Amino acid sequence: MANGPLTPAVLHILLALSTGERHGYGIMKQVEADSQGTVKMGPGTLYGSLGRMMEAGLVRETDKRVDPEMGDERRIYYELTSAGRAALEAELDRYRGVVAVAKKRFAYGQ
Amino acid sequence: MGSNRSIEHCRWWYEKLLRLYPRPFRERFGEGMAQSFDDLCRERRSKGRGLFRLALWVFGETLVGIIRENITHMPKTVLRVALGALAALMVPLIASQFVPDWHWGVSGFAVAYVAFFLVGMGYAVISRRMGAWSYKAGVGLALAAGFGLAWSNMVHVTGTENPTLFLYFSVLAVGVIGAGLARLNAGGLARTLFAMAAVMLAISMLLPSGAPPDMARRMAIGHAGLVVVFAASGFLFRHASAHSVK
Repeated sequence: MANGPLTPAVLHILLALSTGERHGYGIMKQVEADSQGTVKMGPGTLYGSLGRMMEAGLVRETDKRVDPEMGDERRIYYELTSAGRAALEAELDRYRGVVAVAKKRFAYGQ
Repeated sequence: MGSNRSIEHCRWWYEKLLRLYPRPFRERFGEGMAQSFDDLCRERRSKGRGLFRLALWVFGETLVGIIRENITHMPKTVLRVALGALAALMVPLIASQFVPDWHWGVSGFAVAYVAFFLVGMGYAVISRRMGAWSYKAGVGLALAAGFGLAWSNMVHVTGTENPTLFLYFSVLAVGVIGAGLARLNAGGLARTLFAMAAVMLAISMLLPSGAPPDMARRMAIGHAGLVVVFAASGFLFRHASAHSVK
């Protein structure tokens, strides 16, 4: 998973967790905010991706605690591992490369 | 529209849907998924909007996830069952070398393999619904006894063309209908297996065999064995049901 291009869902989850640990609903809201509302991730996609990312060692569970802003249910929090952060940086480098090529092509086109 | 009651109702249905995930996945993420769904519903309600479209979307995308996770988990299970069925096939294959009147041919063994495989898959799919050992053992015993009854009955019906033998299929019909009504829950399955044992007992007592004494004795032993196995399976399901309540 970490070697090739990441799926959009995995990339969005890595981005959402890049600023700190979050619980499931927190990740969904951060993904929505990061994409300016264009990407809405449901629980099926989120937890399916989290399961595969945990198997690949990109994220891990931290602890289970109450979110003071979200009522009194205890929630499991997730955070990036060092492999997850490296995968995110590698993917962003790949994107930067693609953008650089696109900019050159666009400049020649003009 | 989106009252607390309707949110609880939606969550209840969503938790039912989550039961279709493979057990390891459900145990790991089920609670978090239900919480996240609940949070989405509350967010929707706080904006004064209805839950129908949200529920439709989340149920749809979760269903896709369920199919994906089951497919991911299935190949290993299918391979294990296929190998198990092959091992089970060795029993008639070896036995046929020593029993003079055993002439199945390739198609007979192929049918037997498919039957073993289907029973094995039935066990794999049903037994993963509950972690209790007694539930798994109950499923195994019930399927093995049901398979044995169906197989021996098919052989006897084909061999003797005695239509009264079709009565034995009523035991299996009770099992299938009962399991469906019980939705494979341990308590309902316990009652179903006890009913199967009772029907089996009634048939063995009421059905005139007309067989020679030696054959009749063997049939009586076979019937008693099936009654005991169905009842034992029922007790195992009852144990699993009690275990799940604690």
